[in-house]
Amino acid sequence: MLKTLIEAFALISTWEVIIAMFAASVYGLVIGSLPGLSATMATALLVPVTFYLSPIAAIATIVAASSMAIFSGDIPGALLRIPGTPASAAYADEAYAMTRKGQAELALGAGVWFSAVGGIAGVLSLMILAPPLAEIALSFSTFEYFWLALLGLMCATLVARSSPVKAIAGMFLGLLVSCIGIENPGGVPRFTFGITDLFGGIEPIPALVGVFAVAQVMRAMLTPEPPPLPRRKFGSIMAGQWKLTKLYHWQMTRGNIVGIIIGVLPGAGADMAAWVSYAMSKRFSKEPEKFGTGHVEGLVEAGASNNASIASGWVPSLLFGIPGDTIAAIAIGVLYMKGLNPGPTLFTEKASSMYAIYLMFIIANILMIPLGIAMIRVAAYILLAPRSAIMPIIMLCCAVGSFAIGNNMFGVVTVAAFGVIGYVMEANGYPVAAMVLGIVMGTMVEQAFVTSLIKSDGSILPFFERPVAAILAAMAIGALLWPVMVWVWRKVKPAQTAAATGR
Amino acid sequence: MRLPDSVTGSFLVVLGAAAAYGGYILPPVPGQPVGPNVFPLVIGIGLVLCGLAIVFGIGHSFEEEEELVPLEDGQVAAAPPPQSKLYGLRALLPPALLLFYVAAADRLGFIITAAIMVYVTSTALGAKWKLALPLAALSPFAIHLIFGKLLRVPLPAGLLPTPW
Repeated sequence: MLKTLIEAFALISTWEVIIAMFAASVYGLVIGSLPGLSATMATALLVPVTFYLSPIAAIATIVAASSMAIFSGDIPGALLRIPGTPASAAYADEAYAMTRKGQAELALGAGVWFSAVGGIAGVLSLMILAPPLAEIALSFSTFEYFWLALLGLMCATLVARSSPVKAIAGMFLGLLVSCIGIENPGGVPRFTFGITDLFGGIEPIPALVGVFAVAQVMRAMLTPEPPPLPRRKFGSIMAGQWKLTKLYHWQMTRGNIVGIIIGVLPGAGADMAAWVSYAMSKRFSKEPEKFGTGHVEGLVEAGASNNASIASGWVPSLLFGIPGDTIAAIAIGVLYMKGLNPGPTLFTEKASSMYAIYLMFIIANILMIPLGIAMIRVAAYILLAPRSAIMPIIMLCCAVGSFAIGNNMFGVVTVAAFGVIGYVMEANGYPVAAMVLGIVMGTMVEQAFVTSLIKSDGSILPFFERPVAAILAAMAIGALLWPVMVWVWRKVKPAQTAAATGR
Repeated sequence: MRLPDSVTGSFLVVLGAAAAYGGYILPPVPGQPVGPNVFPLVIGIGLVLCGLAIVFGIGHSFEEEEELVPLEDGQVAAAPPPQSKLYGLRALLPPALLLFYVAAADRLGFIITAAIMVYVTSTALGAKWKLALPLAALSPFAIHLIFGKLLRVPLPAGLLPTPW
């Protein structure tokens, strides 16, 4: 183990990795702090850059940018009441109320400190959970992989803050997109309509950039510009954080644990972790009446939770190739591209690379404290940048970045098309994250499904025969049917009540 | 762009039926019980079922309305966007500009095409020419420097080659 750790150190102590990590951290902090630009978008726009980096440097940029962006979303949340990323939305009101009470430093300091602590707790969970899970995963056959992948897709639909039926529809749309091309069990052109560009299928990355970045620029076209930031002078950012840690150590631990659990669930990311933890903090608080008036307790728990989920979201990604959240979905694409194919064997064959990923997470979270403090101090200037100056640059990056993926203009067309699809879906309550998971996991689900069917000679029964497969199947089918069951129950209940009252 | 659930649901039914039919007519793999047709068939049926459920309003009660944050004292409410029907079409400007990039980049070159894109997007978002013009003049060079020079993405030179 020590030898592997030394090898991992050697892998990350190159100038390329150090510079990439530092630059990606600054980039993540800036993008995360700009309202309307999410951590996922920051990561998606970074992918074309990772093509030109070594595998470890490429992963380093994703790790650093995503961790920093999730934290820096708190900055405009606290100063403007506009969360920079959806993960900060849960407690933006609370942080803003603290700013109005003259406690901006305490709110932002809690953001940076508990995010860093949460991030480190998340990576510890990745280090502890992943190896034993990898051993179990080695005994999985295609039947288990199929159900696991389906369960991953289902989790994404369960946690969506939308109609589960629409989320399932979004997931099917994603799976349908993944059918396009000749990469299928028969090797025949499928849904290509004679267009040669479609033979290679739809790449997940341009689709992601389209739904997350172009759709955001499209929304900006119709929404009014956020108000400018009032000028403020900050005192010491970290003062009082140690006192808070001692006072709220249990809330912090609970936030970390909830974040880790939500991160490990496929499909549920930092946004969900923050919402759940904030709600839990209020529910179990001794002073729930203080929530909403500028009380730091919820910030501690939710801040610790959303960053913990970032690292633990890598557990299913690295083990099964099933993304924990949309950021991990992008990371999987980069892992494949760099020859670090996700799967349990990664832990035995590329152990030093795995340790390098752990180390990079730890470094990114430590780096978050000084860089975060610096970012809070310069935020006033960055937040002055008008949206009409930022959005055009993002558009340009979308065009060039998607072209760079295959040096092919078809990538730009894909980005434009998925921008429209993402915009229309979002406007009508269809969660785009479910579709993205469908696109990313489609090929894997189909391979597991068809290989299992070939093995079973077309019979469905073997899908339920192995014990683990049966448990996973029950969970996946339960998840698929629960919206219908709840709907039926709600229909039946009023009828019963009416019958009981004799009306 | 908000459409009634009956419209989006019906669209999914049609799309699902087309996907299932498209899968059905695919050639099977000789000697194998399953081939490239199975997955689209399953997805198509799933889409049809979801579409029908959406048309009949199943799951609608789970949808959360967007919470409106009340304004604080001293905060100025942003002007509501004009309600004309054509206003909504502005949202199509970004994808249209991306298609313009596809059509024009090879002939005009990266710098000129990018400058037009930046200028149009910036003014559409309300920037005055004092901001939009220098932004359109400088940002294409900056992006070219990063992607074209440092990352070696082959960006078309067209009518205006870069000095590097």
